[in-house]
Amino acid sequence: MRRGVTISTEARTRAGQRLPSRAGRLADAIHRTTFVTATVVFAFGMVAVQLVRLAATGAPAVQSNMSSPIATSLARPDIVDRNGRLLASDVEAPSLYADPLLISDRDEVVEKLRAVLPDLDSAALRDALADKTRRFVWVRRGLSPQMAQRVHDLGLPGLAFRNELRRAYPGGRLAGHVLGGVNIDNRAIAGIERHLDESNLVEPIVHAAPSTRRPVVLSLDLGVQHALEDELAAAMETYRASATAGLVLDVRTGEVLASAALPGVDPAIATDALVDERIDRINGGTFELGSIFKLMTVAEALDAGRVGPGTMVDVTEPLKSGRFVIEDPHPAGRPLTVSEVFLKSSNVGAARLALGGGPTRQRAFLDSLGLLAPMRTEAAALARPMLPARWEEIETITIAYGHGLAVAPLQFAAAAAALVNGGEYIQPTFLKRTGEAPRRRVIRAETSAELRELMARNVAEGGGTGKRADAEGYAVGGKTGTAEIATRGKYDRNAVISSFLGAFPISDPRFLTLVMVFEPARTAASGGEVTASQTAAPVTARLVRRIAPQLGVWPAPIQP
Amino acid sequence: MRLLTLSAICLALSSAFLLYALNNETRLLEGQVQQQDRAAATLRSDIAVLKAERAHLARPERIAPLARDMGLVPPGPAQLADADAAGGYATLAAPLRGASH
Repeated sequence: MRRGVTISTEARTRAGQRLPSRAGRLADAIHRTTFVTATVVFAFGMVAVQLVRLAATGAPAVQSNMSSPIATSLARPDIVDRNGRLLASDVEAPSLYADPLLISDRDEVVEKLRAVLPDLDSAALRDALADKTRRFVWVRRGLSPQMAQRVHDLGLPGLAFRNELRRAYPGGRLAGHVLGGVNIDNRAIAGIERHLDESNLVEPIVHAAPSTRRPVVLSLDLGVQHALEDELAAAMETYRASATAGLVLDVRTGEVLASAALPGVDPAIATDALVDERIDRINGGTFELGSIFKLMTVAEALDAGRVGPGTMVDVTEPLKSGRFVIEDPHPAGRPLTVSEVFLKSSNVGAARLALGGGPTRQRAFLDSLGLLAPMRTEAAALARPMLPARWEEIETITIAYGHGLAVAPLQFAAAAAALVNGGEYIQPTFLKRTGEAPRRRVIRAETSAELRELMARNVAEGGGTGKRADAEGYAVGGKTGTAEIATRGKYDRNAVISSFLGAFPISDPRFLTLVMVFEPARTAASGGEVTASQTAAPVTARLVRRIAPQLGVWPAPIQP
Repeated sequence: MRLLTLSAICLALSSAFLLYALNNETRLLEGQVQQQDRAAATLRSDIAVLKAERAHLARPERIAPLARDMGLVPPGPAQLADADAAGGYATLAAPLRGASH
């Protein structure tokens, strides 16, 4: 080592270089050391900063843009009835798709698939598979697990499954109109399902993942709904009617406990609702309701204080207005009290009561009951009321007994509920109420009591048109209505809508029922008649016997 | 200076090991979370199917005929009596209720 230094010094001396002094070498060493130290400190400083940054913020997530996810479907919350019983839910179901590029023999694939899925449109599928530029073709969406297994067992290349959410309606057709339905992408078509979409209660999803939202609780009672649909179906068969409809309404809260129109719809079959005969007659149609409208006429006259239940009304002669003559089907031949006008359902009497107030007052009264303005519930926008173009004397007369003004049955039921519940109007709802319902007074409580008395007598007394609505043990009150249907500008005596508006227990009603039988035939069961007293009234009696115990209304025991 | 350099190297190495260990642990935990998410999603899906099946089996359309076949009908007025009118029965029922405690 020592010799090496000597050689080096000699070499530098030969080259003529000047050897640095000891102090200079020391200074160079310090500079180099400082530089190296600074570099090392800087490098470790950067490491420390990066560590702190990672610790504080975490590593950025790795994003892949190979297939940017887009929402392809919707997750919908469950729908349950007021007692928590399931009406609609999302379930995962496999959907079958094909990659045309991977299919070499499309005829073989189509033929084998047809063996498992007989209703497959083979021509359309063959065409779709011929397009090799496509990499994705739906073959069948929403297969059952068993069916998916059978397709899987075929072992065909180019076919694969993708799980999707499908809407399941475990009750089948039950409450089909109210629930509405969804399309193949789980988007709402109608009914409460549409309400979920409009209220942003559905979530866009990429993968099949059921919604984690709380269920939507309807006002419907599944047991009451079934009883209503069962009785309406039986009535349709018994009276050979073209259709039936009905509802049960809680008059204290405005909650619709049941609503049905037959022929019904299956919410799982989207095209069902497009068939004219399957229209939701409770919400989606307007009808001239006939004599049940006399409840409104009598209510207006009583509430205005123009008459009392015992006031005499002259019905001895038909009523003439212009070229029209109004008469009763069964003229009394003597003056009737206001109560008798209601009980005997006198058209002339109702017309005279309405004329006492005049068109303006009649219109204002019906408007206060919400019968003239468009109405909307969660299940649907109701069909708009059909008002007369002019509202003068003859219109006042016909509207008094339920012709000339067509309204949706639910809209009428809400108005009628206000007349029997003590006089307060409550907006009907298909959702279970959690608080006090908003209400507004439309008639005096005394008037409501008088109307209940009339409705009770109409069922309890032998001469009342509603006596067949008497359900033994239950205090039912109500009013019949037989409205002739206008076809080609003429009313047809044989084509009628028979309705019964009922309430129970009538002394202090909690529930209102409306039963409608469309175009009943003259059958032995109806005594050869098509009137509401022979058709809709007995249906109401059977319905009340079934639903009252479910609703906590017990029959009065038979006294020993 | 040498001590400082060695300390820094040790610190860097230990930090790197610590970071690696944390990273590894995080990945493991992420994997576990994803696994549990998948299990939860599968369970939720199974529950949805079971709920739908139960609702389908309990639909009134199916239950009503079964109940009717068993002779069950809605209660009628003949099945009820005023408690006052049925004094003997009420007297009998009272101690039975007490004995059930």
